[in-house]
Amino acid sequence: MTDASTTTAFRLVRRLAAIGHQNPSLYLLICDATALSLIQADLAAELEVQLGVGLRALAAAEIRPERLAHAFTGAGERATLVSFNHWLPKLVSALDRNIVLLTTAGAVLLLMTQEIAERMLATAPNLRSRLTDVLTIKADLAFGSDHA
Amino acid sequence: MGTDSKPGTVVFDRRQVYRPFLERLNPIGSPNADLIIPRSHDPRNSGEPPIHVAFANAAELSRGMQMALVGGIGSGKTTELLLTQKVLSRHSDAVNVSVDLSEFTDLNEINTGAILATAGMRLYSKLLLRLKKSGEDLPDDVKPAHAKLRELALGTTKWVTDEPVEFEDEDPNMVRVEVPGLMRLRFPALRRKVAEVQELFLIIAAPLLEADAQITLLIDGLDRLIRPEIFREFAEQDLQAIKGTKITVIMVAPLLLWYDKSRFLQDYFDLVKHIPAAAAGPEDSTFLSNILERRGALDLMDRSQVDSIAKYSGGVLRDLLTLARSAAEYAYRDDEDRIGRPHVTAAIAQLGNRYLVGLGNSHKRLIRNLLENYAFDVDNSTARELLVNRQVLEYFSGGRESFAVHPALAKVLPKSA
Repeated sequence: MTDASTTTAFRLVRRLAAIGHQNPSLYLLICDATALSLIQADLAAELEVQLGVGLRALAAAEIRPERLAHAFTGAGERATLVSFNHWLPKLVSALDRNIVLLTTAGAVLLLMTQEIAERMLATAPNLRSRLTDVLTIKADLAFGSDHA
Repeated sequence: MGTDSKPGTVVFDRRQVYRPFLERLNPIGSPNADLIIPRSHDPRNSGEPPIHVAFANAAELSRGMQMALVGGIGSGKTTELLLTQKVLSRHSDAVNVSVDLSEFTDLNEINTGAILATAGMRLYSKLLLRLKKSGEDLPDDVKPAHAKLRELALGTTKWVTDEPVEFEDEDPNMVRVEVPGLMRLRFPALRRKVAEVQELFLIIAAPLLEADAQITLLIDGLDRLIRPEIFREFAEQDLQAIKGTKITVIMVAPLLLWYDKSRFLQDYFDLVKHIPAAAAGPEDSTFLSNILERRGALDLMDRSQVDSIAKYSGGVLRDLLTLARSAAEYAYRDDEDRIGRPHVTAAIAQLGNRYLVGLGNSHKRLIRNLLENYAFDVDNSTARELLVNRQVLEYFSGGRESFAVHPALAKVLPKSA
């Protein structure tokens, strides 16, 4: 699809450090389907090491669209990661219409495959508009040791 | 300059260079934070006062008016509402109720009555504050009306007799029954008659109306419904319920209503204002640059970078802030103490690529046609998608409406679409 910049968990968390993980930021992260859990583990580790904060990991399929407020309430103390392993149009529509709930929840990371990202960006204009950045994320080892 | 953590030396923390700037780039600042640059006039007419002044004047002089504000995503609608509220607060009898509806109710489904119920509960809080200040008592009928309204809106938990159940600490003759609320906050809602909510709302508002207060409801969030017909269903009954009272409503509406042939917007509302993207002319360019300067951009980048960000934002205020923020993050990533041209260029490409995502061949054909022939048919459904997604921006200058491809998108668009 696009020339989204490539990053790693290390680099992304470094960016979060610049703004502070409790300040609102919303990243759409693209990765291979097989790397979802590995990326999640990388992010959790980097957040702990660099910022000393935990990662609140949510599976998108388990979030009920009518309970978005519940899912994101009080999330500011930790970074929140929502992993999409398949396309969820109702949830994406709910996120789009109720986007302010995500923009007050500190750092929120939406992790998904390229295909899901393309569909989300095409169908959720409010969400797209509020994104801090769209990045392709690779596992640290796969990307090499460039921690610059 | 790198980080130096040797004992006895001053530790340089680059985060402190960028973090204050990034925090000031939070898209919605408080009007009291002195970060907002108000427009000097109506964006569609330089001879008219700015939108927030027009709204405030209308609310002050003609109580009960219903006004709508339309504009694309990120065009600054919420900022105008905040500024309107600030202007309205100049009068001591002003009671301003400002809500972003999606913070209170689930916008996924039509929720007739939710606007009225939310406004009623917020109005109750304002009433209590005013009465506390003046030392007056709450009229007898207001508290029960509020309790009933809350019950309708948020739902309640009732205990009713039923077959014995095995709860250890509870009456075995009672069973728990959840009564869903109108606002679908957590549970599926029952449909309620708006008239019932209206009656309760007016009981709560009565002490303020009798005191001749200037009540204004400022309602944000419904523009995110995108589709005009959903907005109409959502908003129409609630607004009708307030018509005829002296309560003013200012509501944000989806951009597509502006182009809707039904003319609902123009026919229904007493005053409609539209925020187009800020044009690339010198006056608007200064306006855009000033927004960044107020947030400290010149401490971290040269004026040429500020101008470049302003240009490639296309006049979309949220994109203006996003570009500045991305550029700062790129500079931080590169261990630079200032934002340079490569960082701004990378930020523009990043924004452009984001707009490129999801464009099909039909979208690209329309974009090419607009770029090469300056032709854009807003009645075309694909064209409207481009408008909603901000890949095409609407401008208004010299009394004429025009359309242009978002400059960040135009910059990354493949040569052969």
